[in-house]
Amino acid sequence: MTEPLIKFKHASLGYGKAAVLAGVDFEIAPQSFVGILGHNGSGKTTLLKTVLGLIPCLKGHFTSCGAQSGPPRFGYVPQKERLDPIYPLNAHDVVAMGAYRKFELFRRLRRSDGRDLAAHCLAECGAAHLARKAFSDLSGGQKQRVLIARALAAEPEVLALDEPLAGIDITTQKALLDLLGHLKEQRRLTVLMVSHRISAERGLFTHVIWCDEGEAVLGPADAMLSGEKLGEIFKTEL
Amino acid sequence: MSQLLAMLKPDFLLHHALYGSVVMGFVCPLVGVYFLLRRLVFWGVALPQVSAAGIAFAFMLQGFGVHLFSGAESQEKHLAIIGSVLFTGLSILFLAVLERRGKGVSEGRLGALYALAWAASILFVAWNAAGETEMLGLLKGEIVAISESDFHAMLDIFGLIAAAMLLFQREFLLVAYDRDMAVTLGRNVLLWDVVLYLIVGLTVSLGVMTVGPLVIFGFLVVPPMAALPWARGMMSFSILASLGGGLSALAGFYMSYAYDLPLGPVAVSAACVLLGLSWLAKAAAGLRAGPREIARLGA
Repeated sequence: MTEPLIKFKHASLGYGKAAVLAGVDFEIAPQSFVGILGHNGSGKTTLLKTVLGLIPCLKGHFTSCGAQSGPPRFGYVPQKERLDPIYPLNAHDVVAMGAYRKFELFRRLRRSDGRDLAAHCLAECGAAHLARKAFSDLSGGQKQRVLIARALAAEPEVLALDEPLAGIDITTQKALLDLLGHLKEQRRLTVLMVSHRISAERGLFTHVIWCDEGEAVLGPADAMLSGEKLGEIFKTEL
Repeated sequence: MSQLLAMLKPDFLLHHALYGSVVMGFVCPLVGVYFLLRRLVFWGVALPQVSAAGIAFAFMLQGFGVHLFSGAESQEKHLAIIGSVLFTGLSILFLAVLERRGKGVSEGRLGALYALAWAASILFVAWNAAGETEMLGLLKGEIVAISESDFHAMLDIFGLIAAAMLLFQREFLLVAYDRDMAVTLGRNVLLWDVVLYLIVGLTVSLGVMTVGPLVIFGFLVVPPMAALPWARGMMSFSILASLGGGLSALAGFYMSYAYDLPLGPVAVSAACVLLGLSWLAKAAAGLRAGPREIARLGA
């Protein structure tokens, strides 16, 4: 049996002393494509931040174990609006940040260090032509491609995306989802994707976590996205 | 022109002051770029004033007969350095802790700190009227009268600051641009914040002692603002800001020497002229690019 990559046991998640989610109890297997769904303010981002180690688990147990001992390597794609446009960075500079995992004082003096990796990741995401463009000038879809390339530059086992399709037109959403599906297969990634909507991406999910009324429940995508379940979540007949 | 050439000769009487001003002009913007990028420009206003209050506090202690070092001049200088570093360091700690908690209005805190520091500077001096002249000299900056040993100490410290800003640029950039990403990459964001704040504290304290609070604020903020529209990456931003600062300091020194004007305000004015020219040039470049861009899109 495959060891779980991420494991919550009777966990409470939140900020300070205030729990946003309680009784979280599930495991995520490697190479799953997990959708984290729910209303605004239901705790989706709180769950993702706990997994990434950005906030501590308030109660209970949370463990994550990568291929090597210790937590897995994460590639994080934040909400694009969070990144301040004042920084004079081009797409290549942004992607190169993904390779800043180690403190290598002397390697950085070599100009080529990290550049090849950044160029490769940009190309893999179909964004090689954007390398020299200012990141702040890119469209929403282009920014997402660059941020996914940055996450890949961290050579991750887990790709964690926070609302990657928000504010993006339908055609670009489809292209980004195709890219994510391709990357998952190609790199054998586990993908965690926060979304407040369920349309085009539902075909990619192997599992879904519903965050609702202070609880987070994981199940197979088919069952969790059934009409009955959605009706239960949205309190309406579908 | 002959005065400029005379200034650049090694036997120029004020060569330490000239080189010191230019080095300060080169180094302060390297730190200042992070004030701009992290949207902490008001720190640049408040911290030099806090540093000045620390210097005034040291003079007040001296007036009350506190003697920590032997030798009148050394006593005065060392107390002033300790006061400046202590006040600046504690204020940075206070601001950074509140900033991390993310509560309250950041600008309001800085405004209150600035007002308090200014009031405290005046009150500390009022309690030691004998030290008022020395205090005024320090607040205006004593770079013109800088000694050989102080000049070399300043070069060493500013050299270390410049090296640290360039060498740790990756870490400072990553932590400033995307803290969450930095954490997921396993970087210690608190450590890198502390390192940056220590560098800021050292730059402000030493800078206020040598050129005064006005010049430090001006050179932390204005050259990076002039460089930002032309920057094509962090390294080019840092280098352009540093060059702008160094050239403004040189131009300021020349104007001050040639027309017998106070050095600090002239140097800051030179930096502001550079900022105006940068904006004008950017606007002109935008106007020129406009028709070409329309033609390109049309084609």
